[in-house]
Amino acid sequence: MRLVAPRVRRAAAFGLVTALATTAVSAADLSPTNFEFFGELELEGTVFFEDPQFAQQERDGASIAGQFTVLSEWMDGDLALRFTPFARADIVDDERTNGDIREAKVDYITGPWSIRVGVDTIFWGKTEAFHLVDIVNQTDLVEDIDAEDRLGQPMIRIGRLTNVGEFSAFYFPYQRIRRFPGPEGRLRFALPVNTDNPIFETDAERFTPSFALRYSGFVGPVDLGLHVFHGLGRDPSFIPDAEADELLAVYQRITQGGVDLQFTSGATLWKLEALVRGGEKNTLFEDELFGAFTGGIEHTLFGILGTSYDLGLIAEYAFDSRGDEALTNFQNDVIVGGRFTLNDVSDTEVLLTSAVDTQKGEVGLRLEAERRIGSRFSAAVEGVGFLNQDADSFAGSFAEDSFLRLKLKFFF
Amino acid sequence: MSDAASPDGGPGQAGPAARFADAVVRYRWIFLALSLALVAVSVSKIGNIWPPDPSARIFFAEENPDRQALDAYEAAFSKDDNLSVVIVPEDGAVFTPDTIALIGEITEEAWRLPFVRRVDSLTNFQHSFADEEGLVVRDLVEEPADVTPEEAAEIARLAMERLEIVDLLVAPAQDVTQVNILFTLPEVKPTEEVPTIVREVRAMVERVEAEHPVEIRLTGGIMINNQFATSGQEDSQNLLGPMFLVILLVVGLSLRSAFATLAVLILITLSAATGLGAAGWFGYRLNSVTVLAPLYIMTLAVASAVHVFSACRAAMPDTGDRKEWVRRALSEHAGAIVIACVTTAIGFYSLNFSISPPFRQLGNTVGTGVLAALFFTLFLLPGLIITMPMRRQRSAEREPRAMRALADFVVGRRRMIAPVMIGVVALLAAGTSQLKLEDDFLRYFDERYEFRQDTDFTEERLTGVNVLYFALPAGGDQAINDPVFLKETAAFADWLRTQPEVAHVATLTDTIKRLTMNMNGDDPAFFRLPDTEEAAAQYLFLYELSLGYGRDLTDQINIDRSALRVSVALGRQTTAEMRDVTLRAGQWLQQNAPTIQTAWEAENPERPLVTPTGVVHVFNLISFRDVRAMLSGTALALVLISGVIMLALRSVRIGLISLVPNLIPAAMAFGIWGYSVGAVTLAIAVVLAATLGIVVDDTVHFLSKYQAGRRKGLSPEDSVRHAFTRVGNALVITSVGLVAGFCVLALSGFAVNGDMAKLTAITITVALIADFLLLPCLLIFLDKRRETMTLKPATAALLLAAIAVPALTLAPEARADDAEAKGLAIAEAADKRDLGFEAFTVDGEMILRDKAGNESRRVFESLTLERQDRAVGDLGIIVFTRPRDIRGTGLLTHANIEPQDDDQWLYLPAVKRVKRISSSNRTGKFVGSEFSYEDLGSQEVDDYTYKWLRDEPCPGAEELTCHVVESYPKNTKSGYSKRVGWTDVAEYRQYKVEFYNRRGDLEKILTYSGYNEYDGYWRADKLAMQNLQSGKETDLLFTEYDFSASLSDGDFDPNRLPQMAR
Repeated sequence: MRLVAPRVRRAAAFGLVTALATTAVSAADLSPTNFEFFGELELEGTVFFEDPQFAQQERDGASIAGQFTVLSEWMDGDLALRFTPFARADIVDDERTNGDIREAKVDYITGPWSIRVGVDTIFWGKTEAFHLVDIVNQTDLVEDIDAEDRLGQPMIRIGRLTNVGEFSAFYFPYQRIRRFPGPEGRLRFALPVNTDNPIFETDAERFTPSFALRYSGFVGPVDLGLHVFHGLGRDPSFIPDAEADELLAVYQRITQGGVDLQFTSGATLWKLEALVRGGEKNTLFEDELFGAFTGGIEHTLFGILGTSYDLGLIAEYAFDSRGDEALTNFQNDVIVGGRFTLNDVSDTEVLLTSAVDTQKGEVGLRLEAERRIGSRFSAAVEGVGFLNQDADSFAGSFAEDSFLRLKLKFFF
Repeated sequence: MSDAASPDGGPGQAGPAARFADAVVRYRWIFLALSLALVAVSVSKIGNIWPPDPSARIFFAEENPDRQALDAYEAAFSKDDNLSVVIVPEDGAVFTPDTIALIGEITEEAWRLPFVRRVDSLTNFQHSFADEEGLVVRDLVEEPADVTPEEAAEIARLAMERLEIVDLLVAPAQDVTQVNILFTLPEVKPTEEVPTIVREVRAMVERVEAEHPVEIRLTGGIMINNQFATSGQEDSQNLLGPMFLVILLVVGLSLRSAFATLAVLILITLSAATGLGAAGWFGYRLNSVTVLAPLYIMTLAVASAVHVFSACRAAMPDTGDRKEWVRRALSEHAGAIVIACVTTAIGFYSLNFSISPPFRQLGNTVGTGVLAALFFTLFLLPGLIITMPMRRQRSAEREPRAMRALADFVVGRRRMIAPVMIGVVALLAAGTSQLKLEDDFLRYFDERYEFRQDTDFTEERLTGVNVLYFALPAGGDQAINDPVFLKETAAFADWLRTQPEVAHVATLTDTIKRLTMNMNGDDPAFFRLPDTEEAAAQYLFLYELSLGYGRDLTDQINIDRSALRVSVALGRQTTAEMRDVTLRAGQWLQQNAPTIQTAWEAENPERPLVTPTGVVHVFNLISFRDVRAMLSGTALALVLISGVIMLALRSVRIGLISLVPNLIPAAMAFGIWGYSVGAVTLAIAVVLAATLGIVVDDTVHFLSKYQAGRRKGLSPEDSVRHAFTRVGNALVITSVGLVAGFCVLALSGFAVNGDMAKLTAITITVALIADFLLLPCLLIFLDKRRETMTLKPATAALLLAAIAVPALTLAPEARADDAEAKGLAIAEAADKRDLGFEAFTVDGEMILRDKAGNESRRVFESLTLERQDRAVGDLGIIVFTRPRDIRGTGLLTHANIEPQDDDQWLYLPAVKRVKRISSSNRTGKFVGSEFSYEDLGSQEVDDYTYKWLRDEPCPGAEELTCHVVESYPKNTKSGYSKRVGWTDVAEYRQYKVEFYNRRGDLEKILTYSGYNEYDGYWRADKLAMQNLQSGKETDLLFTEYDFSASLSDGDFDPNRLPQMAR
């Protein structure tokens, strides 16, 4: 079991050097105006409903994970340093035993300008089910398959706030590669992905620089985001390595432009994300210019049935013009779901969504429920069901992988 | 060649369409005779429809509740129509002997006009004063012809101190005056009475202007009614010529045949005549809207005829037999033409759901005219083609290369076109939020009309032409002399005069005050209301005895003397502003006039607020009501039209697909209108239904050709190409024709007609684009997926979006109407004590305690930045630090004034995401505490209305005196009916607030304690909320108040929330 994968070391070093450098500079100035240390530990057990589909895979799983954050601020918070390492140990899957630097950054704000140097996790987008335009951070698929967990991304970011919103420019010097479960892990493709030897279609490989421009702002009820991105794509294509019975991930240089939009009308939120991307190879390994959008509504019924419970209804649709050749599973899918919030002392919340592939009729069900216990613990249940899976598709490899996961978290 | 109605029919096969074509050709003479008979029968009653109805009230249906209120008011008071003769002396001075003589002369002459009931002018103003014997009431100028300059100056002095004169009869600058003539129309010959009056007044004006150095302008109810009649006549005269010209041009250019053009002209003329004839049979009299019905019919009828001719043209190279041309044209196109006309007719017939009778009549007339056009196209036109010596064109028609190229472009680039189009649609549809309903009926007529110029002049220089009437009930027969009631009425008039929208207020209380002064020896100190009921009754009785002929008080007091009228002339305002002042007036009365409010509620249990009436008021609400009424009409039309398409094309699927290109154009057109113009008249309510039937035609033609391609075994892509080359050109030609026709109609100076025509023209244009770009993509996309597809949520989602977009637009308007009905209060007074703190931060802890005493805690930090603008609220951030699992969760609030929701964003640290959230939840409990969102949200002064109850010792600090104030939330979504607050007199600190729930029960008590002063601002350390119903408690403890924090707007930008929440 490796606690820290080699690829993490370089990222950690980068973060640490930046952190140390800034600390040194500011230490000469003043001691911090604010210093905090906090984090969480997590115990997790996963039960699968069916036996594994592929050889090598083990049935159930358990793991322990933790992260902490060091936050130090100077100049009333205008200069801030944040360092958040994360680590997980899994008894089954070596790939899932890993570490990452989620954050190691220095933020400096002066008037309308802001500068950020270091490793950070940031989110672009508006929709709930499928985050189409969120490109900055690489997705961490070993943590969870819902793509909500992401790997820290080294960057330099300069932002300028105006009265119509913020304009920012990004420089990414280094590329994170996507993590996939190893041969022993569940929720993997028929052939496991070799994550140690990705193929880059650029000479500088992981150090291929990427750039992005972003606008984000709001006018009245409309929140609008626009972006262009040029550089190494985050979504890999795959080619099978016949000798090793593995898939090799291939990263290409891409250019994309996109928009994310939300219109807030009373209890109803209307959401849209759309992008056009060129340079990426599809499942047939052909370069194809494509467009994709996802959008829908989220409507909240406040205080249903005279209680203080809220029920949020979500209906979204995702479309990818590549159709079957899309690298994503959300190429023509309808997602409906409900978020049930109890508004109680324990912040109990239940989210149930189902994604239906309109073409093949594949259904993915997802349940998330969370509740605080006392003031330092919380318990969460996560359930995922794959129904009516098509053996030929990406997700077809997950056909036997419906599972229930229990998490107990401790916060300090 | 297959077609909608005959999927397997065509030349050589005896499909139903082919057999029908044979029959038409064989019996063409019979059909010719039948057609002529149809025209003859229908036009036999055409005489009924002329001349047009001269009245603005034609827009009010009998079931319109606002009209019912107006009728009731007019029955109780009087139904008058006024005419303002506005006199503008060239020397700019009203009070000269010459002008006064002229006013006297016009006043005298006005009495000789037909149906006149009363004349009000400067000279015959009833001037009251006291002399030795008591009250004297006489004309202000007794001998207008012999006034000396000195007397003129004295008249000016007397006049300019009277509220009743200034701003109504004489402008404050003393340069404009009016003679106001009231008529009571017998309504025996409604089409003649108004024109007669106007004719005679104009003759008088012409003579006066010739003899005197003055300019005369005419406005008022009589003039506007007259305008409604004449503008219709002008429209029909001015637009008919251009319309024929445009049709000639479009048809002539596209068909390139003089005889074909002639045949089309015959056809459309007969259709229009039949439609108008039908209006005669229905018993309609033309009005300013329906007068354009024949032009609508002509525009719509052209399309069908063009389809027949272009089909004939396609057959010409093959054969010289005219009958064969017609057979082929009919068997190929009859089905599509029937569908096109029937759907158009359904669209127009659905206007029967409108609340405005002119639109119902327009719908029925045009619908019938279109059906007549269908009949003539199928039965008369073939005969004409066979009979007329039309030249055969031997060359085959050129392959429509442009269409071919367009088809290739659309098919090839559909993956780019579809997302771009969807983006464009979404962007444009968002523009619907910019639409504002604007129904100032005076401004239905644009500046080209003299009436409009005169009205604008009058509103600018003298007084308002739009008048609201408040009939204030006193609560019983003879009760108007009650001093309390009179006092409330006078206070109401005073309040109205302070409102910026109001130009002039006329109320009897001013007269009564004057009489009190006169009866007390003209002592100005007695210019007030009498103290007793007897005195008021006596003064009024004496006054009425002294009044001259026609000057009684029946239009100010109702017959059983239980209500008093306050009439309010409004300056130049938008409809929204007029609605707003109406609402505010009602709310002011609710708060400040208990006698009137109680009496009103007893008489009008369904309307909690006192509501004025008047023609203006009915127009102010007419679009709201019509938009709502037409929703069901439009929905029905949608269902029926989709049903027709499904039946005709024998496919439920195609019928559903057709909804997309049929609904989206209207949404886009409304959006374009919203972005470019914004204001829209009540025409908007009917446009969707009316255009639905028109735009559907293109879709039907395209879909039927696409389907034909698919049945021949072509791929979806090739079927699209097939459809483009077969009907692309015809669709362009008919759309150009329709758009050109509606552009002519758009020239109308009457905004209702103009808006409707413009919106229709935009919709048709956009529809063609949608049919050419979006529909093919949709068809290919859905058909390619079809093989494996079992469900079609994608279609459903698109449909949902298409339907939801217009619904979205209507929602805010509906809420405004609802707000009026609910009658929530508007803020009056404001507590400015706490302004100017600029910014502060504070640490807070929330302790939640259940009935058993179990506690749980939350710790947070709060930042607040004051915004100076009263129109918006403050900026605030709450960041939680404990419990640890929600650490760093940030809530950013940009407060707005109720009832507008605040803007709120939530920062979720686990996923690093800033999310805009709905803030319409007012009543929900904040994180399970006893504080609801509205308790914690920013409390802006204008969110409530206030009422002081009493002063008493402060609860919890008995040495201090507290004001006890009741406040009523303005927002209907509030969880409270009222709050009662204890605020200390000296420093305006809150000590206690009682919250009453919607049922009126006391639900929660909030107590404040531990006050400290920070930089001049008082803040409590502890807020304890106790829920009496559930027994739960929540304490809010505050420490570390910091008023010196340097915060800026930028810190409260959603983009900075991750940094602020840390």
